[in-house]
Amino acid sequence: MNAAQRQPVETKFEPLLQFEMEMGTFLSDWHHCDQLSTYVARMISHNRTDPVRHSNFFSSALNELLEVSFRGGSPEGRIGCAVYRQGPNERVKLSFPCPPGHRQFFQEAVARTHRNDAYARYLDAISTDLAPSREVILLDLAINFDASIRLEEDKPRSVTIVVDLPLEGIVS
Amino acid sequence: MSTAILSTPFQADFDANSQEFSLAGVIRPRSVDEIAPSISAFRSAIEEARGVLYINVKRLAQMNNTAFHAFSRVVLDACRTRSDIRFVVVTSSVVGWTERMFRHLGKIEPQITVEVYDSKFYPGQSFVEDTSFIPILRTQTKMTWRHERTILPRHGMRPGIVMADICCGIGDFAVLVRKEFQPARIVALDHSKASLAYARDVAANFGISDIEYTYGDASEMLLEDNQFDLVTCRHSLQIFNQRDLLLKELYRICKPGGRVYITNEKNSHCLGEPRAQSIQWTYDEVARLFSHFEMDVELGPKSRRYLADAGFDDILVESFMVTNHDGDPQDFADVITAWENVYAGEMAVKRGDPPEFIERFRQGFRDHIFAALHPKGYAGWPIWAASGRKPL
Repeated sequence: MNAAQRQPVETKFEPLLQFEMEMGTFLSDWHHCDQLSTYVARMISHNRTDPVRHSNFFSSALNELLEVSFRGGSPEGRIGCAVYRQGPNERVKLSFPCPPGHRQFFQEAVARTHRNDAYARYLDAISTDLAPSREVILLDLAINFDASIRLEEDKPRSVTIVVDLPLEGIVS
Repeated sequence: MSTAILSTPFQADFDANSQEFSLAGVIRPRSVDEIAPSISAFRSAIEEARGVLYINVKRLAQMNNTAFHAFSRVVLDACRTRSDIRFVVVTSSVVGWTERMFRHLGKIEPQITVEVYDSKFYPGQSFVEDTSFIPILRTQTKMTWRHERTILPRHGMRPGIVMADICCGIGDFAVLVRKEFQPARIVALDHSKASLAYARDVAANFGISDIEYTYGDASEMLLEDNQFDLVTCRHSLQIFNQRDLLLKELYRICKPGGRVYITNEKNSHCLGEPRAQSIQWTYDEVARLFSHFEMDVELGPKSRRYLADAGFDDILVESFMVTNHDGDPQDFADVITAWENVYAGEMAVKRGDPPEFIERFRQGFRDHIFAALHPKGYAGWPIWAASGRKPL
């Protein structure tokens, strides 16, 4: 079963915040991941039940996604990140240019987050991998943040990851 | 040991005496090389440890997968080579992702257990977080507010400031401050989920949506450094056993040039007429009782010393007396009744005091109530308000 077949029924997500920047600029400094995730988390969490803890949780998840785009992105084009809300859920839509072939890799990694052996794969990766792969990071989001992850059809040589995070329920 | 490689500093420390390796702050390296000194220190700590090694991540605000895998690998490798050692990872209930992430380690290796540090922040916590106390906390705030609303501007309260109320309890002080002084932002933090739920309900009922109530441990807050013009912490320093740690945190989140405002009691100075002697005896015993549970309800006049030792300057200290003549004397009597119930009915019993002591102990509260409700009586509850400025 591929990721497209597992897409959840679409509900109305309201836009909260979005940013775009040149990918080359983004890639110029690793700390952009930390800075952007901290800033965005703080902005979108202010009216959650527990803004401080929601922000902490959200920043953790968004930082991992930005780190994925940092490690796997290519310098031409723009990175775009939009955050939406629907009830207790936030949706992150992250688009970034990537080298040819990487899209297929992301499709497979996303599909693995939906498989029954996802948790076993995650534990195995913690036990044996020297460093976390992008697949493990998506598994981390699915397992530790209860995230629902899918890919959106996009232009060639770019990828759009859509991650739904039910953090309000977890935090409060 | 600290590192300056990352933009946001983090700390990795090993305390050999307690066999505790602590990670704190934000750890988001691009590669393991950036945290190599900390990884190396962690390996050394494991080599040195015997029996149990505690891994304290209570103050770990953020850690990316790169760092998590690196530290996890060290501990998992150690499990495979050292059957003589156990690892206890201590996470915080405040930082929810740490509990979720670290618990997997225990699934991989039975030598690793993960504990959530939650219920024993300070010895008197169970007493002060008792939900039956909530109505009386409202009455107490109503009585002290009559004084504090005129005192607070001298300690840095003014419209438009960014403020935090730490140990906010049921949040009523934050609501009163918001209405009276219109700060630009209020963050209100407490460790009692029941109190916070009450605070949020009250705020919702009054259509207040701009007070940021947050669950947290005042001695290890997620709030960032240098954020607030004014940090208030009322009636709380006296019930913490690690007062220096709490003050350090209040200092940390306060902006340079901003102020930290604390209020505390000196219970042995509670007074009343008539029946002064009985009242005096009971409140002397209250101070001893709290001391037994590592709380200091005599702290009020020591505020200047505590603030000075914590690094504050321009320290202001003043005191005020809440009396039975502040509004309805029955309010004062209701507060004393609640104190009697908790101090004599619960704390003295827990200390193991004999019935005859408890009866005499109760009598002083009853006499205080008698004084409060007596047409010619006077009953008082003294409070010290103090603040210090964080140097620029």
